Amino acid sequence: MIERELTVSNRLGLHARATAKLVQLLAPYRSNCTLTAKGREVNAKSIMGVMLLAAGQGTQVKLRVEGEDEEATAQAVCALFERRFDEDS
Amino acid sequence: MRQEFKGLGASRGSALGRARIRLPHALEVAEEHIAESQVEAERARLQRAIDSVRTEMHALRERLHGALAHEIGEFLDLHALLLDDPELLQGLDTLIRTGRYTADYALRLQRDRIAAVFAGMDDPYLRSRIDDIDQVVGRIHAALHSRQNGSEGVAGEILITDNIAPAELAQLQAQGVVAIITAAGSTLSHSAILARSLHLPLIVGVPGALLKVNDGDALIVDGGSGLVIVEPAPSDLRDHRLREREYIRERRELHRLRREPTRTIDGVDINLYANAESREDVAEAHALGATGVGLYRTEFLFLQRHELPDEEEQFRAYRDVVLGMSGRPVTIRTLDLGADKADRTGLALRDEPNPALGLRGVRLSLARAGLLETQLRALLRASGYGPLRILVPMVTCREEIREVRAHLKRVARELRTQGHEIADHVPLGAMIEVPAAALALPGFIGNVDFLSIGTNDLLQYLLAADRNNEALADLYTPLHPAVLRLLRDVIRLSRLRQKPIAVCGEMAGDPLYAPLLLALGLTEFSLHPNTLLELRRVIRECDLAALRKDLPQLTRARDRAGIEAWVQSHQPGP
Repeated sequence: MIERELTVSNRLGLHARATAKLVQLLAPYRSNCTLTAKGREVNAKSIMGVMLLAAGQGTQVKLRVEGEDEEATAQAVCALFERRFDEDS
Repeated sequence: MRQEFKGLGASRGSALGRARIRLPHALEVAEEHIAESQVEAERARLQRAIDSVRTEMHALRERLHGALAHEIGEFLDLHALLLDDPELLQGLDTLIRTGRYTADYALRLQRDRIAAVFAGMDDPYLRSRIDDIDQVVGRIHAALHSRQNGSEGVAGEILITDNIAPAELAQLQAQGVVAIITAAGSTLSHSAILARSLHLPLIVGVPGALLKVNDGDALIVDGGSGLVIVEPAPSDLRDHRLREREYIRERRELHRLRREPTRTIDGVDINLYANAESREDVAEAHALGATGVGLYRTEFLFLQRHELPDEEEQFRAYRDVVLGMSGRPVTIRTLDLGADKADRTGLALRDEPNPALGLRGVRLSLARAGLLETQLRALLRASGYGPLRILVPMVTCREEIREVRAHLKRVARELRTQGHEIADHVPLGAMIEVPAAALALPGFIGNVDFLSIGTNDLLQYLLAADRNNEALADLYTPLHPAVLRLLRDVIRLSRLRQKPIAVCGEMAGDPLYAPLLLALGLTEFSLHPNTLLELRRVIRECDLAALRKDLPQLTRARDRAGIEAWVQSHQPGP
């Protein structure tokens, strides 16, 4: 299992478009993947789950990945957060 | 038993079909349990419904093209993700298996749970995303209840609903809906305008419409008179066929107008240009006898791809339009994109919280090195093949147009040195869609060769009302006194300074508004080829001198009602 602390740093937060991006990115990976914020843990592969986190800019999020390709999965998610969901090019 | 009632005819045409009632948002589903032995069947029923919604959405996606595809496509993507959402599906599954609820009630419970969380959010944008979930849940619910022959979707049905959003109209028509009746709405709403351009019969303003008809009733709808007949008698069916024939005859007569001039009763020729963004549009514009292309959108060259189109590709596209119009003038608009659409391009723009007021149109072209230059080079090279004009979108101030002009001069010089054949004079025009540009026009009209008023955006910015916000449908109207005054002033100044001026928004394509625009002094319209012949027919019945005499009275109107009354009383007969 891999755990990472991430910060939502894109300006608009985890809104619909960023969430869609995350869910689409995760689709090909087989590992289970959750995000925890404000005491709520959600399935990161669920667009509804992630939207329900209502994580605005600056929110601290804990990523938890478990499965055969957990290394690659975690890396991909971290990279997306670091790229600020490609909002700021 | 036969019954009839009347509403306001908002879009002409006669239709015969089965009634399909769409209830308002909230799912009115009673708590209902199933026996353990039914659980598997219920799960399968839900799965079939979800599969059929997925197929429906997929089919819709294939049918959409042009500007609509970009606008609706984004929603469809989101809805497709929601439809396959593991949380939603697992939740439903658990409710059916362990709660032993019907799929309908499970759907409602799940929807209400999610809605409760959304309602507690601080961010109003996120909070409003419940609408997307409602739409997806609504579709699944409808699919659960589609009749046995549900596989053919809604084809041949007449939709009866509270209200209808513009984005839905094209979608529903593509799915085969033959007419729409709404309880609310106005004949001048955005949806009504769109329905007319789609030739989809629409009747609005029928209070209690949902209670007057039963799902599955046979209906006849006359979008001209606003008459609805429930369970028609044989004589009604005959009337419907006659009316249908009449509309076909009308269409045929319209068709004859292809080769006729667009001349008013008092002998003034009006120029009808076509808006176009595809080869088909250009061919149609040519066939319908358009004066030229008044607005060729170049965005499609940039959308749905990861790299920017190079000069050669753009040149060929522009040259094809010019050649397609065989000598008639073609106006090509430089890139009009903003952050709302740019994520499907090679532009890599920052997300903006408010793209409508952001880096878009000429602002973007000037901000990105090379973007404008490549486009201008391609355009100038195409100008060697026939009359071409360049139109600049989203102009706010004089500096922008001067800067574009400077680039244009430099690029022209370079191209000539490189041995390219380009036209001696390529007119440069500005879109008038930012209110500031309209108000400051006296200061920079000397810097442009022609003007085009983009009423869609002008209205949105002038009235501070998003045209896709249904809650503001009554506010978003060209019939506001401020709109009329601004249009009058811009048109008057252009005529005084002898600069050609056209209106290229949806307003120009709606025959309802033609007398109004003529009264305001307009002689050039640029519109989608869809309604070009209808506009020609209406204009040929207008007396320009008489209409213009009404201008002072029109601009003295103090509210929408006064202007609307004038518009309604100046409709030439069908």
